[in-house]
Amino acid sequence: MDILEEITEILAEILDIENNNISPETYLIRELGAESIDLLELAVALNSRFKIDVNDDEIFLRKLRQYVTEAEQQDKDILQYLAEKLPFLMHKRLEEIIADLEGGPTLRVKDLISYVERQRDGN
Amino acid sequence: MQRRVVITSIGVISSLGFTLEEILNNLKNENTSFEKSIFDDEVAVSPINGFDVKDFAGHFKDKRYLNRGAQFCVASAIEAVKKAGIAKKSLAEAGLFLGTGPNLDIGGEFPDVKEGEIDRKDLMALWMLKFLPNTAASVIAILAGIHGENQTLTTACSASLQAIGEAFRKIKNGYIDLAFAGGGDSRLSKSSILAYKKAHVLCDGTGKPERASRPFDRSRNGFVPGEGGAFFLLEELQHAQKRGAVIYGEICGYGASIDGYSMTAPEPEGIWAEGSVNAALQEAGLAPSDINVISSHGTGTLLNDSMEADLIDRVYGKRSPFIIAVKSWIGHIAAACGAVELAICLACMKYSYLPKIKNLDEPCHAGLNFVREEQSYPIRNILLENFGFGGQNSVLIIKNIVTL
Repeated sequence: MDILEEITEILAEILDIENNNISPETYLIRELGAESIDLLELAVALNSRFKIDVNDDEIFLRKLRQYVTEAEQQDKDILQYLAEKLPFLMHKRLEEIIADLEGGPTLRVKDLISYVERQRDGN
Repeated sequence: MQRRVVITSIGVISSLGFTLEEILNNLKNENTSFEKSIFDDEVAVSPINGFDVKDFAGHFKDKRYLNRGAQFCVASAIEAVKKAGIAKKSLAEAGLFLGTGPNLDIGGEFPDVKEGEIDRKDLMALWMLKFLPNTAASVIAILAGIHGENQTLTTACSASLQAIGEAFRKIKNGYIDLAFAGGGDSRLSKSSILAYKKAHVLCDGTGKPERASRPFDRSRNGFVPGEGGAFFLLEELQHAQKRGAVIYGEICGYGASIDGYSMTAPEPEGIWAEGSVNAALQEAGLAPSDINVISSHGTGTLLNDSMEADLIDRVYGKRSPFIIAVKSWIGHIAAACGAVELAICLACMKYSYLPKIKNLDEPCHAGLNFVREEQSYPIRNILLENFGFGGQNSVLIIKNIVTL
């Protein structure tokens, strides 16, 4: 089973939804309606399933907006700043996120996959 | 004018069925679910095999936080809400009163606990919700959109009857016009069986499981654990009449007390239990002779049944009402026994039917009117009794006003 399949299975279980509603592009909060307690359970499940350390703030992009504000205040390049803070996300994805900030919570399934991949390789 | 309180919706999940009609048919055909526990072949249980909360409440993510008892709570509450057919605004104003039990399924939740170490990788972030008593209430309110006054009672085997009694009083006294009240419970898990077996309150189930539950029989030697749930919509009479609701019965009296005697055994004279009977009669404005059927607690334990039989003898004297014992049909549903037994009593009231007390070969007490054979009989006023661990006593009286 690849990472996407495993994450899909975990999400379907936690949110009590059908697997086929989930793709890498799916938004967790905007589309699947995940709430903070669901994310808590998700972090526990990812830690258990993939045997990786999970930092809730990092994986769920909790401080994304704070980082953007910090970069602006310190007159730094936002993309560069985010890449330092969220090293598991590719530049292309970060650009996408910056363009998407107005639309609400940007967290997508593919971000979880990136996080899991990086943590696994790091171990 | 005195406000009156009626029952206008019933959601029931029992081993005898999910509707009043199914319950009646299964009583008549003696279709019970007694079998040997999968955890201990010396113990008989009355399970609801194949139960899935999804079948009643659909998909909802908070299901993961519900222990089996809480699942029966949620399923039966949602059934009662669906069958009530009331508007969203009324639901928002409704109260919610329930009786729940503890989650005794310790071994199921923590199968490999060693030296007190429970921190496993797969332990849910909010695992504690499976052990908090008000988790069921929270889920029911979220799913049904109920926002009124709420209480979760945890008074052992008296809990759900008390929840219904408390809801009745809130409506009668004008605090609210309608409330959902009931409970759900299950104590069939390995840890539950162990708990009650060690307490020496379970019957010896080494014989035929369907013969194990023997309330008021001389040979009784303990109760048989069951599971299930039931919820009711309680409504102020005029409120119900205005919307043309079906009325299943009127709650007219409630009484409760605590023995202050023993952690598990009932006070043997039944002094305080009798107090709760008298309180309910007084609130209902009825004399003992107005009660024509008693739904006994009748657990099949030596102590309860002898206390209860003496109590009935004292209160009613030579004019014993008919006595039924629902636990001889469905086992003992712990915190939810009162709610599920009320649903079965309402089925009996609707269809003018009295089920026999199963396995009652030699009554422990002479002179009492135990129902030995099924019969057609119009229930006028039925008095329900539940007495629980800790000396919890509760009594509810239902008047048959279906024909009014």
